[in-house]
Amino acid sequence: MLAVRVEGISKRFGNHVAVDDVSFEVPEGVIYGVLGPNGAGKSTTLRMINDIIAPDRGHVELLGGLKPGAEAAPHVGFLPEERGLYPKMRVLEMIAFMGELRGLTGRDARRRAEAWLERLGLSQWRRNKVQDLSKGMQQKVQFASAMIHEPELIILDEPWSGLDPINADVLRDVVREQKAAGRTVLFSTHLMEQAEQICEHIFIIARGRKVLDGKLADIRRAAAAEGRVALAFGSPADRERAAPVLADPALCAASRAAAPGDHADLELDLAAGVHAQRLLAALVGAAVAVRRFEVVTPTLHQIFVDRVGRDAAAIAARQPGDGAGEAA
Amino acid sequence: MIRPRQRAGLPDWLVIARRELLERLRTPWFIIVTLLGPVLMTALIVVPVVLGRVGDQTARVQIVDHSGTLGEPLRLALTAEKWRAELVPPDTDEKELRRRIADDRIDGFLVVPAEAPAAGSFVYKGDNASAEHIMRSLNRVIYGVVLSTRGAALDLPEDKVKALLAPVDFTTRHTTGEDEGSSGLATFLVGYVVMFVLYLSIVLYAANVLRSVVQEKTNRVVEIMVAASKPRALMLGKILGVGGVGLIQVTVWAVMGVVTINQRGALLGMFGVDAGGWSVPPMHAIDVVVILTYFLLGYFFYAAIFAAIGAMVSSEQEAQQAQTPVMMILIIPMLCVQLVANDPRGGVAEFLTQLPFSSAILMPMRWSLGGASTVSLVVSIAILAGSTYVMARLAARIYRVGILMYGKRPSLRELARWLRY
Repeated sequence: MLAVRVEGISKRFGNHVAVDDVSFEVPEGVIYGVLGPNGAGKSTTLRMINDIIAPDRGHVELLGGLKPGAEAAPHVGFLPEERGLYPKMRVLEMIAFMGELRGLTGRDARRRAEAWLERLGLSQWRRNKVQDLSKGMQQKVQFASAMIHEPELIILDEPWSGLDPINADVLRDVVREQKAAGRTVLFSTHLMEQAEQICEHIFIIARGRKVLDGKLADIRRAAAAEGRVALAFGSPADRERAAPVLADPALCAASRAAAPGDHADLELDLAAGVHAQRLLAALVGAAVAVRRFEVVTPTLHQIFVDRVGRDAAAIAARQPGDGAGEAA
Repeated sequence: MIRPRQRAGLPDWLVIARRELLERLRTPWFIIVTLLGPVLMTALIVVPVVLGRVGDQTARVQIVDHSGTLGEPLRLALTAEKWRAELVPPDTDEKELRRRIADDRIDGFLVVPAEAPAAGSFVYKGDNASAEHIMRSLNRVIYGVVLSTRGAALDLPEDKVKALLAPVDFTTRHTTGEDEGSSGLATFLVGYVVMFVLYLSIVLYAANVLRSVVQEKTNRVVEIMVAASKPRALMLGKILGVGGVGLIQVTVWAVMGVVTINQRGALLGMFGVDAGGWSVPPMHAIDVVVILTYFLLGYFFYAAIFAAIGAMVSSEQEAQQAQTPVMMILIIPMLCVQLVANDPRGGVAEFLTQLPFSSAILMPMRWSLGGASTVSLVVSIAILAGSTYVMARLAARIYRVGILMYGKRPSLRELARWLRY
């Protein structure tokens, strides 16, 4: 069963296309990250999935066929990007209220609210007013509010923004627990490190369009296969002997200085279809002593910058002079 | 597809309404205003009257007598009323007299015309000329002195003049034919109080809806609420919850009012006032029903408008501006109170109590004055209920789009587009 099926949704605000023909599928029981730079259309996409705004085109199905909105509401927990609480409400009442809003009975809502406060370490604050809590604590109350009805599908928009490292860990643990309980977690973020640590599936969106999606492991393997090699030479003489090999366009597409601290001299992209093995053979053939030769598995951050950068360039080339998109 | 879960608890609009209701009921302000509201309102009416009584009852005046005959009798009559009156020479310069007022040596001066008592005009100038009860007693004194002087000129003995001047008792009774009638003033006062309470509670609570919508928008809690529920339920719940608070308050006030009216003899007796001449119009159960019906309809009508305005704006300052036109419309019925009170059965009253913008405030008053027929009441309620329904539908559309919009206020064209969504 699919937790979320998004088919060709588009949304336009005035003359700005926020989301342009986006489709993706979230399998049940996974942690799925929607990644993208600021203003890429992440929040708009999540809002359409939650029926807060209606797509101009396309449609959304949740949990194997439920329509977003009233029908799906008891099964879905959503933490919006812009979020607040009622400042004068007591913490326990606030969470229980959100539970009742999602269809729980009053008694059930209170019981679960107590459990969540316990889990998040906020028990001693239960009778305090929300306004007495720090920002981080309020954020935890918001998480509890989004999950109190034990929804099958949890959607979190930028959940880590504004959290300190300790609370970020707490949230990561909570997300993993939810997955372990068989629930699906769909979240958006622009923090690649967070996504890399817990996502199984990712969807990268930029300028309202899909750039890439799939299993994180597959994506990384594919990116590694695209051939990026880190290289360290035995001596400066070796580096000189290697120069003609590296300049051969049949082997090497590009080379650049390695990132500082990487203990490599060069980082290079292999020409299309060339296996790293051939480069190594050519280097050995040229009597180059190699201290380090490593096929680099790129970080999500690198993949993101690569793909989003390239995609943006492609869009710019296709639509010369169409600057309307950035204005809004 | 998973099996859709049934809601185990209350419907979402009810959960929201309960939260809005409890949040307001629990504030100390609600208790204070509910219990002390009538006291404060009564105080607002009574205190100025009482202060007027305990204030200066008399004055220091100088009499400029051009008639040569009335000066002394006036001085004596005023002195009998405990005024400090003295005669000054008729050729005293007016500038000099005004300087005495400016120096606070006297409160004012009375100029007796040469033609008096047959003709001419008495003129009083003083810093207390605006104090109504002082001017009334001055007028009474002058009237008495002039009449007895005229009587003496006609050779009427003093006791006959006294008999002529004996006060005439004049009573007014308000009735539209169904009963013997009740005190005209008391009837007007009851109608006026009913109108005022309705106006005040509709304005207070409908505007409270606006403020609460704007606050939810500015602190972004609306995002979480819309994620968990629907804008329609959010608006309905809020209007019902706030309205519930208002209904409780108005009911408490109405009960207090009925008790006060029924026990007025005892209550007035406590202040040493005889309630004998005060026959207040009887309050029937139907009157209370009419008042509560119009409160609810009027409240819903205006709350819907205010909720839509709240959804359109992004800050309290903007809200202040945007609500001004509605506040102006709400003031119109207040300004038309006299039109209805003077002629409750007239065409103007009929028009104003059928118009949905003013009927909620003016109809209960007109009804309590006995000016409205049952048909006219039913038609008015039907028009108001219908308008409220239409207004709520329109407001819900604006609200749905508006609450998630921040920044610029929509233009009329954008608003029209929101309505079509």
